[in-house]
Amino acid sequence: MTVLKTSLRNFLAHKGRMALSAIAVLLSVAFVCGTLVFTDTMNSTFDKIFSATAPDVSVSPKDAPSGDDMQRTRKVPTIPAAKIAELEKVKGVKSAAGDTVSTSITAVDKNNKKLSLVDGAPSVATNWDSGELKSVEVTSGHEPRGPTDVMVDADTAKKKKLKIGDTVRIIAVPGDFTTTITGIATFQVTNPGSAIFYLDDETAQRRLLGATGKYTSIALTAAPGVGHDELKKSVIAKLGPGSDLKVKTKAETKEENKDDLGAFLDVMKYAMLGFAGIAVLVGIFLIVNTFSMLVAQRTREIGLMRAIGSSRRQINRSVLLEALLLGVVGSILGVLGGIGLAIGLMKLMGTMGMNLDTSELTVKATTPIVGVVIGVLTTVIAAYIPARRAGSISPMAALRDAGTPAEGRAGKIRAVLGFLLTGSGAAALAVTANADKAADGAMFLGLGVLLTLIGFIVIGPLLASVVVRALSAVLLRAFGSVGRLAERNALRNPRRTGATGAALMIGLALVACLSVVGSSMVASASDELDKSVGADFIIEADNGPIKPQVERAIKGAKHLSHVTDYKSFEDAILTTPSGKKIKEEVNAASPTYAQDLRSPVIEGKLVDGFAKNAIAIPEGFAKDHKVAMGDTLSVDFKEGGTAKVTVRVIASEDTAFNKGSIHIGVETAKAHVTADNMPQNLMMFAEAKEGHDREAYESIKAGLAIDPSVNVRDQADYKKLLEDQIGQMLNLVYGLLGLAIIVAILGVVNTLALSVVERTREIGLMRAIGLSRRQMRRMIRLESVVIALFGALLGLGLGMAWGATAQKLLALEGLKTLEIPWPTIITVFIGSALIGLLAALIPAFRAGRMNVLNAIATD
Amino acid sequence: MTTAVSIPRTGGSGGHTAVAARARQVVKAYGSGETRVVALDHVDVDIARSQYTAIMGPSGSGKSTLMHCLAGLDTVTSGNIYINETEVTGLKDKKLTQLRRDRIGFIFQAFNLLPTLNAIENITLPMDIAGRKPDRAWLDRVVDTVGLAGRLKHRPNQLSGGQQQRVAVARALAARPEIIFGDEPTGNLDSRAGAEVLSFLRRSVDELGQTIVMVTHDPVAASYANRVLYLADGRIVDEMYNPTAELVLERMKHFDARGRVS
Repeated sequence: MTVLKTSLRNFLAHKGRMALSAIAVLLSVAFVCGTLVFTDTMNSTFDKIFSATAPDVSVSPKDAPSGDDMQRTRKVPTIPAAKIAELEKVKGVKSAAGDTVSTSITAVDKNNKKLSLVDGAPSVATNWDSGELKSVEVTSGHEPRGPTDVMVDADTAKKKKLKIGDTVRIIAVPGDFTTTITGIATFQVTNPGSAIFYLDDETAQRRLLGATGKYTSIALTAAPGVGHDELKKSVIAKLGPGSDLKVKTKAETKEENKDDLGAFLDVMKYAMLGFAGIAVLVGIFLIVNTFSMLVAQRTREIGLMRAIGSSRRQINRSVLLEALLLGVVGSILGVLGGIGLAIGLMKLMGTMGMNLDTSELTVKATTPIVGVVIGVLTTVIAAYIPARRAGSISPMAALRDAGTPAEGRAGKIRAVLGFLLTGSGAAALAVTANADKAADGAMFLGLGVLLTLIGFIVIGPLLASVVVRALSAVLLRAFGSVGRLAERNALRNPRRTGATGAALMIGLALVACLSVVGSSMVASASDELDKSVGADFIIEADNGPIKPQVERAIKGAKHLSHVTDYKSFEDAILTTPSGKKIKEEVNAASPTYAQDLRSPVIEGKLVDGFAKNAIAIPEGFAKDHKVAMGDTLSVDFKEGGTAKVTVRVIASEDTAFNKGSIHIGVETAKAHVTADNMPQNLMMFAEAKEGHDREAYESIKAGLAIDPSVNVRDQADYKKLLEDQIGQMLNLVYGLLGLAIIVAILGVVNTLALSVVERTREIGLMRAIGLSRRQMRRMIRLESVVIALFGALLGLGLGMAWGATAQKLLALEGLKTLEIPWPTIITVFIGSALIGLLAALIPAFRAGRMNVLNAIATD
Repeated sequence: MTTAVSIPRTGGSGGHTAVAARARQVVKAYGSGETRVVALDHVDVDIARSQYTAIMGPSGSGKSTLMHCLAGLDTVTSGNIYINETEVTGLKDKKLTQLRRDRIGFIFQAFNLLPTLNAIENITLPMDIAGRKPDRAWLDRVVDTVGLAGRLKHRPNQLSGGQQQRVAVARALAARPEIIFGDEPTGNLDSRAGAEVLSFLRRSVDELGQTIVMVTHDPVAASYANRVLYLADGRIVDEMYNPTAELVLERMKHFDARGRVS
């Protein structure tokens, strides 16, 4: 009981000193909980919309695309309308209705601006029937009644400022058509992001499918008391074996819809939890330092406790108990913070167009438990070593001087262990750099990163002595004796400096590593682009393939010497001469593709691979399946016939673009696949006539006016796009790493603040003998800057080594150019100095304000 | 009201008056109303230049407070303090710091040295802070006199208590301050080490013309001074020139007895 009482008193007495540790716990736990709440809310939001929109049982063609898959070919698999009557007769069916749905549309307003809520989220056009009323309500105007009527969902209307009477042009696969808004429908549940356009039944069929009398699926409503699974069974029985229709219950449809999205949400969740984990790791350093310093400052007190009879275990336990209190307080606040964070994230997504309702916030029972367990465990584990150290304080300490005992120099064992770890880590990195296969190297890379990181943490105190001296020699000399005092202070406890710097090191190492990899990616891609891309223009849609009418427009553009088709058969089946069947994606392109992308080849001439009845295979495929030049393969396109093709090219895999892809000529595909079943172009390439680049570009651009979702880019634009994409990704990651860096900054503040308290008497002495307030503050700031730069130097060094190793490894995958982003690295270094200054703000102020007399008063 | 104002005599060197520091009607009070405690009660005092002054008195007599106020470490409630001709009272922190740095030396009872600096660095610290170059010859002489020549590269924790105090004395002397204040400088030392430090202080007055003010409760320490001031209840109650340990002890017994009677 007394143990609890002393712990509680100590905790309360030092709540100021605990505050920063508590914030570190709070932030880490908040990030974990925020992630969980956010992803759970996203999941439940999607769950609700899918529940509301999916029919009890749906019947659709077997080869219909599932979930969010885009329509790839011109023809959509359909069910004849007559089936509705047939299915209505099945026992247990209350009603049956035909659905026409297309996600392969682009809708634009009268200014030709795209009407989508979120970039990348599908826009949907569908037929209106009374079944829709389950999930939406017509809130103004009326439902679509004629061939030019359209009703739009309220979220899209609001975001894009649409009102009744506005014109909407819809670009669908069979062609584009113009409609007028007659109504606005509001979802009863939250619609997270799809823009939805309702057409009347017949218009939907004619405009989206190209013909009437058929539907993309049939929705069945179960009669009261009939289960979905039961109904599914009766429908299957009715359809009989060999039917080309598939039957799904509501649960199955939901599952299917959620698959893609769920995978995305999972990736997001684990990535964010990963970053939270890094913050937790960094927080551990802060907590270790806090407790070490509190124990050191309390040495006499603990000595006294031991002298009057407390056992080691009691001392040990009292420190751990304080940690437990800290963990509990920090975690509980963290859980609350996490909920706040989730709401913030939802608002943020809202500004990007995603529609999430904070009233649907989903906090699962496990979330707070996970948060508290993580927070408490980390705190207690981090406090374990300081607690043990407290237990081992001798009763003699009570009799000694009040001064903090200087912690011993970094131990020999630590040095040996540290060098061993760092050495083996470096060896693993060396192996990685020389690996022949990316997969082998990846494991060593992970091992190398982990070992060098732990190694650096372990020898941190040793490095602190060396690096701080070096930094001071360069930076602090200018500040004379104040600089020297700062240097000595940073050096006086290498373990503390080491741990504080290491906390910062972790975050910055990751920043440096990723920036090296990112800029190497950009550099490699643009090198490769310069080297092998011959096309003047690259044409792609934002989302999905290029629609036929757009393709025609591009081909009709002037001043072009050629236009290249590029399409893909995703599920083609190849049969080797030995009779082996291999399912592989096969790409079909015009022969001019050989000029557009000058891929390196091992054997043959690249252009021959696109000739009629020829195939170009990558070297890996040739090796794995023992296929040689001149061999004949058969290609089953799955969307039509089977072609016999001869291997005319073996392509090198030493390239960044189209690495390991199989290619045939588009003519070969056309000979066996009907126009309707032919996949639409995924990309197109074009080359301008000599000296007409500008005009050609303008001409294509004018042609693309019919569909603003398709973009034409010249090589410079394309490079810019790559750069922007990688830059955006990096910024996102830096943002997430920001959390770990903030926690590390708190660590620097914490170390300094506790040091200032610890050095009260020294500060008093220095003030008494004439150190001015300003000099005192400068001294603390310089100490802080040196610690921060120490962490930055280690982190950047380590990170660049990781990044360079990763690049060497990825060179096998086409990341050939190593580019160290010096501006970023230098900015981070200078930024760290600023961080140091910032972290010292309050401790320096407090040191300056310290009362000289109190400070020098003897006891 | 008590005074210990000496009649100005000429002395010291070039242009300086014979008085190194003065206090006039200094009051130092803590708290207010009923809880008001007066630590210094209208004290007047002159500290003679190139003399060794000891301030004595029982615990709570205000002797440390007086020294802190004279040295510009503490503020006064009313009254004026001068170091030479500079008025200390009313100076802002910046000027006060400068004054301490350039014109005053300190020796505290304990914790005089920065643990991160070695002996010589500690000795030159006030000058380093001021950005002044130490006078090499003077520094050598000081170091020599203190007898630390062989230990200049030692850190404080490698020095004995007596050696540490000698380093502190050397630091106080090295910058050639106008006045050195000592707060029980031998309080933590055994009698032999204490005697070493005290005789060294004495020599610095005799040979270097240093002015020293020292707070102590040890009659032996006080006997090294030229003059002893006795404080009780925040007032100067007596003074003695050319004291010996016996005389000081005698006088203190007298005060103690008086204290008990009253």
